[in-house]
Amino acid sequence: MKFIEFKNVSKHYSGQSVLRDFSLEIDMGERIVILGPSGCGKTTVLRLLAGFIAPDSGQIIIGAQRVAAEGKIIIEPRARNLGMVFQDLALWPHLTVKGNLAFGLKAKGVPEKDRDQRIVEILRHMQMEAFIDSRPAELSGGQQQRVALARALILQPDVLLMDEPLSSLDLELNIILRKEILKLQQSIGFVLLYVTHDREEAFEIGSRIVVMKAGKIVQNASVEDIKDYYRKLSLNY
Amino acid sequence: MSKRITLILVVIFVLLTGLLPLLVMFARSIIVDGHISLDFYQGLLTSGREWTLMGHSFALSLLTALLTTIIGVPLGILFIKTDLPLRRLFTVLFTIPLLLPPYISAVSWFDLLGREGLLAQLMGPSVAYTTSSWLFGLPGCVLVLFSTFLPVVILLTMTYLKTINPRLEEAGMLVSSWPQVLKEITIPVIMPGVLLAAMLVFLLTLGEYGVPSFLRYDVFPVESFIQFSAFYNFGAATAAAVPLIIITFFVLIAERLFLRDKTYQIRTMSDSEQYSNIELGNSRNWLMAIVGLLCISIVVIPILVLVLQSFSVVAYKEALSRAGGSLLRSVSYAVIGASMLTVLGFFLGYLIHTRAFRFWRAVDSLTVFLFALSGTVIGIGLIGLWNRPLTNFIYATPAIIILGYLAQYTVLTSRITISTLAQIPPSMEEAAQVAGAGWFQRLSLIVAPLAMRGLFAAWLVAYIFCLRDMGITMLVYPPGHDTFPVRIFTLMANGSTELIAALCVILIIATLLPLGIAGMMLKLK
Repeated sequence: MKFIEFKNVSKHYSGQSVLRDFSLEIDMGERIVILGPSGCGKTTVLRLLAGFIAPDSGQIIIGAQRVAAEGKIIIEPRARNLGMVFQDLALWPHLTVKGNLAFGLKAKGVPEKDRDQRIVEILRHMQMEAFIDSRPAELSGGQQQRVALARALILQPDVLLMDEPLSSLDLELNIILRKEILKLQQSIGFVLLYVTHDREEAFEIGSRIVVMKAGKIVQNASVEDIKDYYRKLSLNY
Repeated sequence: MSKRITLILVVIFVLLTGLLPLLVMFARSIIVDGHISLDFYQGLLTSGREWTLMGHSFALSLLTALLTTIIGVPLGILFIKTDLPLRRLFTVLFTIPLLLPPYISAVSWFDLLGREGLLAQLMGPSVAYTTSSWLFGLPGCVLVLFSTFLPVVILLTMTYLKTINPRLEEAGMLVSSWPQVLKEITIPVIMPGVLLAAMLVFLLTLGEYGVPSFLRYDVFPVESFIQFSAFYNFGAATAAAVPLIIITFFVLIAERLFLRDKTYQIRTMSDSEQYSNIELGNSRNWLMAIVGLLCISIVVIPILVLVLQSFSVVAYKEALSRAGGSLLRSVSYAVIGASMLTVLGFFLGYLIHTRAFRFWRAVDSLTVFLFALSGTVIGIGLIGLWNRPLTNFIYATPAIIILGYLAQYTVLTSRITISTLAQIPPSMEEAAQVAGAGWFQRLSLIVAPLAMRGLFAAWLVAYIFCLRDMGITMLVYPPGHDTFPVRIFTLMANGSTELIAALCVILIIATLLPLGIAGMMLKLK
């Protein structure tokens, strides 16, 4: 069942086209990985969906609602029920782990008692309970990653956006966290839109892969088909 | 080797121009007739007047810092993060008072609210009597210094907001509204910057001489100046200056201990990252009206009053005939001072940026300390050091004024150099090094050309601060070498209102003209 739709979306920055006539449909519970080199427009897709920027033309639909169209943001980011893990994680440095997780719950008006319970629960799930009062700067890269993931998931979003979240980690931690993300998605069932330039990461996480180049989709297929596509591409060279 | 020697010479020069005068001044205040004596300090502690001065200085500095912070932070946010109409124009207008000697604002307020001011002509003497008695004293000083130092808070808030990682706010926007994001994320993250701005305003107000002197509100710098120039009591002048040194020192130590390490994510944004624009919606127009009203009240009207008061050819003719020489001298000293400050700041900035010596932080702190110190204190220190037969070639010539500029304003050019150098990838210099270029070659052929824009900005800022200086110049200028701000200040005693207003307008033009030309040149480029 179709849940997200980009319809002929274009976006320019300072006169340069970043996204050109971009169309994509995503079903409920899907794990879409957007794969491509840096500057191809993959982060822009996430930012458009989050509502940080508006498309210059075209429209974006989430659920049955048009959330942005023709240069306008119709539904604000906070009303889209999305979670996001940023490339640099963007953990608020002046708040503790608890403060980082409580911010969204407070904004949504969750009572303090429920808030604390949900924070403890999710931190237990992430094996981060012991760090509830730590500040981000006191955590290791992997621990920060888990807090960012917990912050994105604590409001039980319909869609989780991940912008190269594992790019700064060492390979071992990268592999462990890939598996954790996969496990979480399978148990909760949110739509996962994952951006990376790492093919191996994309093949492991995605159920479908969208390959982008210069603001356009060049491939949109299952993991197997994309693997095949790259195999042929390397044979040709 | 040449790098090391050059940078050591630069540090020695800073110590010689900045620190040594203070040490000599202190030594002279505790040595009376060849013996160590704390008489001056005893007098300081036991005299009721000194405690009154302390109370006045603190009240003025605290109130000014508080008011500028309360108003300046929201203005900074409005100018950088929202779609407020005319925000760029407002930023420029609010900055103007900072570029002028603060007493010019005092003069314009006097022309407006004084007993024979514009208000008196419009509303009668009884209203003017009330406003005049209000202007002369603490409220008037706070008003003038608030309008002068408000841009410090606005500009620092804007700078810190620009360097905040926009992802921090976006992460908040996913679940919350702008007001809450501002309250719980943006402002706490820039809080060290806000406190730094407040602290800077506190110290600048504490060291201000011109405004309290003109508006007859006794504070430490005025006392120091009177002790020195009226009674030539060097020891008492120094003793009155010491509390300023101690307070400045401890405030800066507090900044280093509590704020420096709390500066969170500082980074520059690329064009594509510059989201985070708050749409004000229906509030846009009334917010613009409030900001416009404030701008008109504290910037436009005071300048307009000066222009109106000076509106006669005779006044300008007289101004140029009585102070034309001072104007030329001022511009020449400012050009020389700014050029030397740019060179000194470049080397010092390079030293601090590359952490060339283990004591780089101490050098940086010293320049900040000297900037925050009252000009009067530095002036007394310079006289104490250079007023000897052997060094008369400095003391009796404009060199003493230039040394004063170098002592107080080096931090401006060094800090601009540091932020400029931070934008040049180290690989640029390293590539030249690999290619066999020596240090001077690398600096002159690679680093300096790449930093040219920043160095130009540093020169401009230095020029403005040298041109507007009065605290140091007032004390150290040799006979026949007074600068324009000093001449205006001395003419105030017996010059007509029209003449003083004309002089102030000329000074405003001399300050803003290079900025306008620079702005146009940058636009054309």
